[in-house]
Amino acid sequence: MTSKLKTIIAASAVTLTGAIGAYAQDEGVLGAIKERDSLLCTGHNGSYLGFAEVDAQGAWQGFDIEMCKALATAITGSPDKLQIIPVSWAQRFPSLQSGDIDVIIKVTGWTMTRDTELGLSYSRPYFVGPFYTMTRKDLGATSIEDLAGGVFCAQAGTTVERILVDYMDTRGLEYEILAFEKPEELRGAIYNERCDAVPGFGPFLSATRVEAPDPDAFVILEDVMALEPEGIVVREGEDALLDVINWMVTVLLLAEQEGITMANVDEMKANPPSATVERMLGATPGVGARLGLSDDWAYNVIKTVGNYGELYDRTIGKDSRYQLPRGLNNLWSNGGVMYPLVLD
Amino acid sequence: MAIAALPPPATQTGVGAWLRKHFFSTWYDAILSLIFLALIFWVVSGIWTWGLRDAIWTVENRDACGHGVGACWAVIQDRHRLILFGLYPYEEHWRSTLACLAVIATMILSCVPLFWTVWRLPILWIVGFGTFVLLMRGGFAGLPLVTTEQWGGLSLTIFIFSAVFVLGMPLAVILAFARRSSLPVIARVTGIFIDVFRSLPLLTILFAAAVVVPLVLPDWLQGDKLGRVIIGFSLFFAAYQAEIIRAGLQSIPDGQVEAAVSLNMPFWSQVVDIQLPQAFRNTLPSTINQAVITFKETSIVTIIGFFEVMASGNAVVGTGEWGQQYVEVYLFLAFIYFIFVFGLSRYGAWLETRMRLGHG
Repeated sequence: MTSKLKTIIAASAVTLTGAIGAYAQDEGVLGAIKERDSLLCTGHNGSYLGFAEVDAQGAWQGFDIEMCKALATAITGSPDKLQIIPVSWAQRFPSLQSGDIDVIIKVTGWTMTRDTELGLSYSRPYFVGPFYTMTRKDLGATSIEDLAGGVFCAQAGTTVERILVDYMDTRGLEYEILAFEKPEELRGAIYNERCDAVPGFGPFLSATRVEAPDPDAFVILEDVMALEPEGIVVREGEDALLDVINWMVTVLLLAEQEGITMANVDEMKANPPSATVERMLGATPGVGARLGLSDDWAYNVIKTVGNYGELYDRTIGKDSRYQLPRGLNNLWSNGGVMYPLVLD
Repeated sequence: MAIAALPPPATQTGVGAWLRKHFFSTWYDAILSLIFLALIFWVVSGIWTWGLRDAIWTVENRDACGHGVGACWAVIQDRHRLILFGLYPYEEHWRSTLACLAVIATMILSCVPLFWTVWRLPILWIVGFGTFVLLMRGGFAGLPLVTTEQWGGLSLTIFIFSAVFVLGMPLAVILAFARRSSLPVIARVTGIFIDVFRSLPLLTILFAAAVVVPLVLPDWLQGDKLGRVIIGFSLFFAAYQAEIIRAGLQSIPDGQVEAAVSLNMPFWSQVVDIQLPQAFRNTLPSTINQAVITFKETSIVTIIGFFEVMASGNAVVGTGEWGQQYVEVYLFLAFIYFIFVFGLSRYGAWLETRMRLGHG
């Protein structure tokens, strides 16, 4: 009798924990996305050109938007199962907390305050935001050292000014700062050739260059003065979703490292050159189940948005009008800081 | 013998005399006139050469843009649908157009005195708004569903404005009467409500409606984000408008209401036939003022992620393709706002003349 009772208790405990396990797996935002069959991602408006912008048909384009598409494809299997919710900078964290959006992919720097006090969790950086220097092409400078002694324009009292001072002083370079109160004044000074160089956040500089009367008169140098890593943000405690995001970023980078592109992914899946590629593209099962996704999720992602390099070049890099140097966002094997995790 | 009236001397008539009298009567008048004439000529010719003569009108010629010539209206040709419809799905823009026309027609019709009865006006608004929402939202008869997050552009601006006005106005009337109520509890509570809503910035109210309310209310009570924002906006509008109406009510001599009471007129009839018409007539300028302010303030919904006409304009400029043409885009937006605000002002002026006719 007692043994029977024990069995029943044990069995129900197993059922219960099993049920809880199954429940926990579909709990949270990842479960909600699957149930809704659509991802709620951030759009932004006219902030950093090339990261999110609206075309003539009212469709969203850009680096952050492609990341949203990649994530939607990974989870739902289709880039169309994606709703871009436009949110302002001030609104993004409250919107995430209130559940208006599932993730923030909006050039959001990984800072300690946000990570700890705001109750957010960051993915590994999907973009390393560099502070570059833009200069006039006719000066012929190829590095910041060549610009020593020149006039550097910056907005007064901003981080950029501090970064410039740090960078130049530690290297003992001569420089003259021309500080402006307003961004419009700064712009005017740049376009009227009052500045030899303009330090600034990479996406800002590429936008400033594109909007110049003659964009080709300016060039962005690859010297990095400082950097801000940008992560994909979810609510704290969304481990399942965070796993999917981190492995999605890895798949994009691994695809580039292994030479898998949007064009050759079918061929690669049919004749995988290595066991890792075989596993990643789902030719041998396993890559999906561990994340609660289908086994061809990585294949779908690459088929839809391409590898990291393709995505970058198309939206903000050399194939786009913004011409932002790849720089730190190159793979480690090409002198950058981006690397895939180990897919075993 | 009657003296025939002679015509005035030639120096006192004709264009020359008029000019001399109004613009060149003294030497400093003459100098000022010349300066302003030059200024006007300079501005007008500047607008003419930049905005029309040297302007680039079509996308085919866009390569010429940004080289210091004229305005580049090609950006409007290329992106006008984004400004008018925002993020609304491209293939469904005809629905947005029809819906927008329906609301504009409703607005115009409700300005016609024929519809000013207790029954006709609400029915008109219900039909007009119903058409708008059904068309925009779709999800029936083969029309794909378009959620309010995707509504945008001029259609959204007009919808928010008219919805706020239509919800806020009756509420304002109720608040105005409640604040003048002889029951202290009602009067005080209304007073506190109005003061609280007036002391909060509109931005705070909209932000709370969009972001904070979902954290507090259960799911089934939340409704749509656009709906919450419109309700928040209406409360704000009503708080201001109620005070305007109250001013109108206070300007009516007490004797009128006392006379009505002594004639045993029912309360409803006192309000509808005596108090409200006079209150509205006396406060028409400030009411039109409030309407104009509200129309322009709709652009604040950008901050909570709605793509109304201003945000759509920013999206046009927010691409590398048209980033240089912000002046043209903002001028176009200003023109859109001007049409609506000017229309409102002219309507207000017409109402004033019309009401004055009836009251000598």
